[in-house]
Amino acid sequence: MTESATDTIQSGGSAATAAGSTAAVRPAPAEAIALRNVTMSFDLGRSKRMTALEDFNLSVAEGEFVALLGPSGCGKSTVLRLVTGLEQATSGEVLVEDKAPADLAKSHRLGVAFQEHALLPWSSVRENIALPFRLARRAVDWQRVDELIRLVGLVGFEKARPRQLSGGMKQRVAIARALVLSPDVLLLDEPFGALDAVTRRRMNGELARIWEEQHITTLLVTHDVEEAVLLADRVVVLTGRPGRVRHVQTVDMPRPRHADITRSAEFRAVVDHLTDLLDVDRKAE
Amino acid sequence: MRLRSPRWLNNTIGVLILITVAELIGRTGIAGRSWPPLTDVVGYLAEPVAQATVLRALTATAASAGWGLVLGIVFAAIAALLANFIPVLRPGLDRLASVLNAVPLIALAPLLITTVGRESTPAVVAALGVGFVMFVAFTAGLAGASATHQDVFSVFGSARSTTLLRLQIPVSLPTVFDGLALAAPTAILGATIGEWFGAPRGLGVLIVSAMQNYQVLLLWAAALTAALLSLAAYLIAVRLQSGAVRRFT
Repeated sequence: MTESATDTIQSGGSAATAAGSTAAVRPAPAEAIALRNVTMSFDLGRSKRMTALEDFNLSVAEGEFVALLGPSGCGKSTVLRLVTGLEQATSGEVLVEDKAPADLAKSHRLGVAFQEHALLPWSSVRENIALPFRLARRAVDWQRVDELIRLVGLVGFEKARPRQLSGGMKQRVAIARALVLSPDVLLLDEPFGALDAVTRRRMNGELARIWEEQHITTLLVTHDVEEAVLLADRVVVLTGRPGRVRHVQTVDMPRPRHADITRSAEFRAVVDHLTDLLDVDRKAE
Repeated sequence: MRLRSPRWLNNTIGVLILITVAELIGRTGIAGRSWPPLTDVVGYLAEPVAQATVLRALTATAASAGWGLVLGIVFAAIAALLANFIPVLRPGLDRLASVLNAVPLIALAPLLITTVGRESTPAVVAALGVGFVMFVAFTAGLAGASATHQDVFSVFGSARSTTLLRLQIPVSLPTVFDGLALAAPTAILGATIGEWFGAPRGLGVLIVSAMQNYQVLLLWAAALTAALLSLAAYLIAVRLQSGAVRRFT
């Protein structure tokens, strides 16, 4: 237990020192997530197979925020599930911190928020956020839990049960839960997909603010172009099934990015460009 | 706007109708001499001697049913946990449970008399009935967590025992108490049947001997007591179930 705690401090604490000391072995910047020539196909029975991903390549650097953008059913959630270790690639290589993805989950250094919040209905907000501590069999750091409740703006709702919360609040609890152990890698699978446009926009603003505070390596899966451009350092646009990388867009607008940035000409231009790229698919269909 | 009568009122009216019809059939004698008016049965139960006889039998049956319930639940829980942690065993255990349930308890009882003895047969017959219902409830309940919940526990690196404790068991509780609402009356039925085949005491014994000696009032008193005991067990389980639903969903 002490060992894994030290690990976290080393890898998350000072990226500069870590990169400097390992420069001889591995050129910086360190690669946090790597998918190489990944193909993923599912057996549908009666000798039919569905190929979700084909020859897929993706690399996310340590401390980088990457958004996967694509039409629904293009396999972007499959990419995320491969990185969590919940699914195994049919062929190719998936590495997280140079190891098998499941290793990160086993050592409790992965944070995930799914589209369905999946909170425990019998637990309070506070207990739900503390859950990762319990699953890691560590003593709950209540200070950390309360800090996250403040961060996601749920002060006063600590004792509420999930069913008493709105959809947006539940997602904020799910994100706080994903962050509570200070994970090395954060994976977000359309966390605001089920929310209305206004709430979604506000949540995006909050996620941007939260991310500013601790630059965690993040992979976000979304079909919302504005969301991707607002949050990410790089946006990877996927083709329709089978999913391949169509385009990689670097977004170097300065941070912190506030909601007003979405009205700037530069932002609109990037959004329009990416939307066009997504539309190519639909025309082809 | 339509006014709806509250549920308790509906239930009370239903029970009153049932009692009245039974009483009328007894009074008019259209079902023969073996169907006495309910008031006569209640009157018979008010007699101290009859009361003592029925009460002694009730205590014995309730004890057997209670033991059967506990035994059945414990064995069902062990089997369900085995099936949960060793998935290879799951199909075999499912089939074993179905086969045990397919054998009529009434056919097993004489066999049990010769193996576990007259004293324990009622509890064992009760346990067999309870065991099947509870095994189904436990296995269904433990598998009841949503796929996303299971994914969340996996990505946070939860050990299987931790997932059992913090996800599967809480999720299973409403289903388990649903099972209990079926299992509790089953236990009393099982104990009573088990007593028919020569147990030393109990409501089953009372029913058989009253039948053979044509003691109609005693027969009805014993049957009524068994029914009330069964109903009480059911109501307690239902109360627990609604509590579990409120807390765990």
